[in-house]
Amino acid sequence: MRNVSHILEKQLTDYLVTDQARFYRLAYSYLKNREEALDAVQTAVCRALEKQGELKEPEALRAWFYHILVHVCMDVLRSRKRVTLIPPEALDAGSYEDPLPSDGTLAQRVDALPPEVGTIIKLRFYEGLSLKEISTVTGWNLNTVKTRLYTGLKKLRISMEGDQS
Amino acid sequence: MNEFKHAREEYESTPIPEELDGRVRAGIRQGKMGGRAKRHGFRWGIGVAAACMVMVGGLNVSPTFAAAASNVPVLGGLFQVLTIRDYATVENGIDYEVSVPGVESEGDLAEKVNAEIQKRVDAHLAKAQADWDDYKEAFLATGGTEEEWADREMNVLIDYEIKSQTDTTVSFVVDFAEGWVASMQQRYCYNLDLVNDKDITLADVLGEDWVSICNDAVNAKIAADESGLFFTAEQGGFTTVDDTTSFYLNEDGSVTLVFPEYSIASGAAGIVEIPVEA
Repeated sequence: MRNVSHILEKQLTDYLVTDQARFYRLAYSYLKNREEALDAVQTAVCRALEKQGELKEPEALRAWFYHILVHVCMDVLRSRKRVTLIPPEALDAGSYEDPLPSDGTLAQRVDALPPEVGTIIKLRFYEGLSLKEISTVTGWNLNTVKTRLYTGLKKLRISMEGDQS
Repeated sequence: MNEFKHAREEYESTPIPEELDGRVRAGIRQGKMGGRAKRHGFRWGIGVAAACMVMVGGLNVSPTFAAAASNVPVLGGLFQVLTIRDYATVENGIDYEVSVPGVESEGDLAEKVNAEIQKRVDAHLAKAQADWDDYKEAFLATGGTEEEWADREMNVLIDYEIKSQTDTTVSFVVDFAEGWVASMQQRYCYNLDLVNDKDITLADVLGEDWVSICNDAVNAKIAADESGLFFTAEQGGFTTVDDTTSFYLNEDGSVTLVFPEYSIASGAAGIVEIPVEA
């Protein structure tokens, strides 16, 4: 048993190091803050190593890790609601130095979606996960994932059409 | 979904901070420590940061390494004791947790000490591998199967601890351990006077009567002992301290003598440490 888990640990750490840019981008898309996104990735990576025993099939590695990462980001978003918001002028330049996608683009609209729906869109179209994998990440059953995906697409279209008029 | 192609390109243009790699590796280290501490139920020594790769050399090699090294005590302006090699890995059933110190200083002494530590580290790792191979051979020869062998694991640990430090001196110990069906542990002590570029001796600390002072302390300890683990003189037990007796200096300046396993007491006593009242 130990040997199997050792192979998995190597596979896991290799994956985490190789795909780190993807994790950061996803975290940043939720948090829109460089430091918080870095923190989120580090926390998720740490948690993945601690919980590696829960990962049963190596082929589910990606979905399993995104599950942890999305969860960490959502936690940060939730905790933000409990803290006082700081006005933009009080922030130092470093906290928003990274450019946001330009205004009004589809990417911008995806970001504006509620996190639950946005998660599905991002994982499907940016990260290329299958709907089944997304179901693992979010913990929702396949039908819920499908429904929310189409809801999300509809919202995006509506807002795009509204823009054109 | 072609309309997402552009959105995806935009998404992928998110700048990646330089420190990301360091943060990921730090997360891996922390996660491994957390998991390991639970598995073994203990944490090995202080400041064992487990990185997944071997890092040798200067602090500029990797941001992870710089981050790990920033946690080690920085001593005075004259010298530093740094973790120069730090990793945890599993290979062929051997679970390595290695944290090797090095002394950074101007003089020749630091260089000599570093070379000696390195030699001991290399010897320890080679011996661990040889012991493990011997054990496997014996295991298979006596009817064990490859499957059963795969469940076995040996721990190889190298760690260090700074016992005391001043602006000009440092006393630290380096521990080497190997654990499987049997276990063995070795502790090497380093007491360095970086100003005079020399090893600190017991005579430097305790004066010219150092032999009798130490012997009195050890004999008093043995006399007061009720465990029965100390060897008697006939069994090859303690006779006297000499130039080769190991020791480290405590923060209050007092001396603790360190006797290897089996040297003055049976193996069950482990490494025997005896404080000397100044």
